[in-house]
Amino acid sequence: MRRSLQVWLMAAWIISVLALPLSTFPAAQSATTGVPRAPDGKPDLTGVWQSGTNRRGTWEEANTGFGVGGTGRESPPATPAPAPAREPAPYTPEAAKKVLQSFNLRAINDPTARCLPAGVPRANSIGLFPIQIVQTPKQIVILYEYMNVFRIIPLDAKHPEDLDPTYMGDSVGRWEGDTLVVDVTGFNDRTWLIGAGTFHTDALRVTERYTRVDKDTIVYDAVIEDPNVLTKPWEYRTTLMLREGTRLGEYVCAENNLEPERVEKLLKDGTEFRRP
Amino acid sequence: MRSALSGALFGGALLTIVTPQILAHHSFGAEYDEAKPVTLTGVVTRIEWTNPHSHLFLDVKDDKGNVVNWKFEGYPPNVLYRTGWKRDATMKPGDRLTVSGWRARDGTAWAHSRQITFRDGTHLFFGPPAGTGDGGTTPAVRVP
Repeated sequence: MRRSLQVWLMAAWIISVLALPLSTFPAAQSATTGVPRAPDGKPDLTGVWQSGTNRRGTWEEANTGFGVGGTGRESPPATPAPAPAREPAPYTPEAAKKVLQSFNLRAINDPTARCLPAGVPRANSIGLFPIQIVQTPKQIVILYEYMNVFRIIPLDAKHPEDLDPTYMGDSVGRWEGDTLVVDVTGFNDRTWLIGAGTFHTDALRVTERYTRVDKDTIVYDAVIEDPNVLTKPWEYRTTLMLREGTRLGEYVCAENNLEPERVEKLLKDGTEFRRP
Repeated sequence: MRSALSGALFGGALLTIVTPQILAHHSFGAEYDEAKPVTLTGVVTRIEWTNPHSHLFLDVKDDKGNVVNWKFEGYPPNVLYRTGWKRDATMKPGDRLTVSGWRARDGTAWAHSRQITFRDGTHLFFGPPAGTGDGGTTPAVRVP
């Protein structure tokens, strides 16, 4: 049951995003097709968005059936599709051992299990919770329901020289044609990138590209660099889909987080949970 | 535009990763056993609409007729509301219903919920599929 669900989910998602040739994105043919514009002529990214899916429609429409997180009302198809191969992350051999260790521990040391912010680009990959983008001519603000964190992205600005390391980093943005490019640095080393155990150091730098290719879709592309643990840049790509009518809500993760004490108990009791 | 976007998306020197992040809060696999699915029918005694997870408590009669109060974990309230749940309306203490999910590894009366079936036969998901948050089936790095 678990395997078929997972395989189906992963395959459906990957196929749906990657199987599309670039030419199917309207922006590849025309930068203006259906893309709302701000008064200054830039594409307007303002709106509430859902990551990890390419389904159009309202939140409930897009997540009915076997939607992101399986929150819909129907059961998934019984026959799973084969999962496409995935290129491994370019960690150094030593760092890769540490990533694998967390994977084999089934991600019990996930920082978000302690209600810590998801970091970048992970916060833009979580489809279960909406994100909201507010665009002005001089700055762009991204609000995340998950962990209720935010990013303020001044445009055509420099990073401060006295950066204190943070979970979500320090962002500055600029427009390159119709693409918003955001340079993010000033991270601490307490978040994961994408996937179980994908740690990084405070040398992390992420270059994000947000391209609204039609009314419903932002293509999100992040290039991840950390010379301390990665042998070359690593790219993550997903789509953010417009969810009109969705409101971001309060999310106070610490309200009733039982996870830390459960993990402590698992380890204390010697319960077998590691991957074989 | 076309060349800029193509360059951004298909830079030859870059590795591309695509990993669906279904639920990111905590590990299913550490706490629950996918090999131990459970389906129980009982009476709701309490509902906790809390973050990061909601909880449902259900009085269930065991084989000997003893009543055991089971605890089921599920989605946080915002996720439930966006997919059709209404607090104090969709499910209330005293309601009789059926919950399916997977048991906790510690063997106690505690489980991860997936689907709830109401008396009229309709159903809604109260929690995510098995395996969420525990790293999936493939690690991010190559296994030596």
